Amino acid sequence: MAPRALAAAKVEGDPQTYEDQNVHAVYDEIAAHFSSTRYKPWPIIANFLSSLTTGSVGLDSGTGNGKYLPLPLDRPGDVWTIGMDRSRNLLEIAKNAGSEKVMREVVWGNVLDNPWRSGIFDYAISIATIHHLATHERRRLAVKRLIQATSPSQGRLLIYVWAIEQDELSKRKVISEEEQPSANGKDVVVPWVLSKEMQSSSSPSTQKDDQPRVYNRYYHMFAKGELAGLVLEAAQELGLQVGAKPNEIGVGNLQGLEIVQDGWERSNYYVELRRWQI
Amino acid sequence: MVRLITHNLLACHAKDCNTNNFPLQFKDVQLEIREADFNPEFLKGFMPKIEWKALVETAIQLGDTSLPLEQPEMLDEEFLKNLHHVLLEIHVEEGSMTCPNCKHVYPISNGIPNMLLAEHEIG
Repeated sequence: MAPRALAAAKVEGDPQTYEDQNVHAVYDEIAAHFSSTRYKPWPIIANFLSSLTTGSVGLDSGTGNGKYLPLPLDRPGDVWTIGMDRSRNLLEIAKNAGSEKVMREVVWGNVLDNPWRSGIFDYAISIATIHHLATHERRRLAVKRLIQATSPSQGRLLIYVWAIEQDELSKRKVISEEEQPSANGKDVVVPWVLSKEMQSSSSPSTQKDDQPRVYNRYYHMFAKGELAGLVLEAAQELGLQVGAKPNEIGVGNLQGLEIVQDGWERSNYYVELRRWQI
Repeated sequence: MVRLITHNLLACHAKDCNTNNFPLQFKDVQLEIREADFNPEFLKGFMPKIEWKALVETAIQLGDTSLPLEQPEMLDEEFLKNLHHVLLEIHVEEGSMTCPNCKHVYPISNGIPNMLLAEHEIG
């Protein structure tokens, strides 16, 4: 199937209300179907979680169906990832992610809030979440909250967002050949076709139930360099120096953030970060 | 889920509530005990991050008096098993958590705490 061009989105009115209608309400409706398509962990994310030391606790901000909560699979229970999401229906699925017998810890919350003891997590991940926030300021705030949730001396972070640049396997096409890619990304709507088997009988229907329903989700597709740019802005607001930890000892009370990896993988941009202080 | 591992990390985040906002106080709780796999190495690694006094006092409120008031230096099997039970096997299924400072109430339903705030409550 040829990639489908995505319609542009126009964010209007209060961004929180816009996200409620164009992101959160949609995920609550499509939760079961969406979850059935999201089960395979991505290698870079799996490697990140495998590299954590035993005894680590972490936050998965925008956990969705919780597919990263059981990792690393070969060391069950060595680390604890707590999942947070805005969709209550996805959390009901995330509670038993990976196994019906093992319960996961999940919290109903907003990625723009920080309902935690400051800097208490050893690591935080946010996978395919920040691109659902409707303004640049809100995306920056989400990155800031994620950094604040982790340990100032050794917090590790991994963030994934969808990219304008989609690979050849993608079903989607974000910009046409004639369109110049913007450095500020692009707001689009991505349709979700809810198969009729997955439609809950309780949800209100304006169409015949033998037709699949289509839900449009808002996405901000990231441009090259935009995610790292958000990280730099968030670090600056937090008073963190960006770069590798300096070797000198005794400089004083200095805190920083190192960008360990900054890349593109299969239609996503990602950054891995590490906090330090001397 | 609200197990005490999570409860020990949560804090009130309502607008202008920055001090004395931990630990949240359980109220009207329904508990469920579920066995979990014992992993002493995880517990040893996690211990430095625990707010010990909050954990012990909360466990006592939920009816578990197995933990010592001070974090012990010697971590024997019995202690680690008790800690494992308190942190990972007691599930608060229903009830609420109240902030000791601003009295904001965070409801718990079907094991999931609602940490969302109304727009005017966000700092």
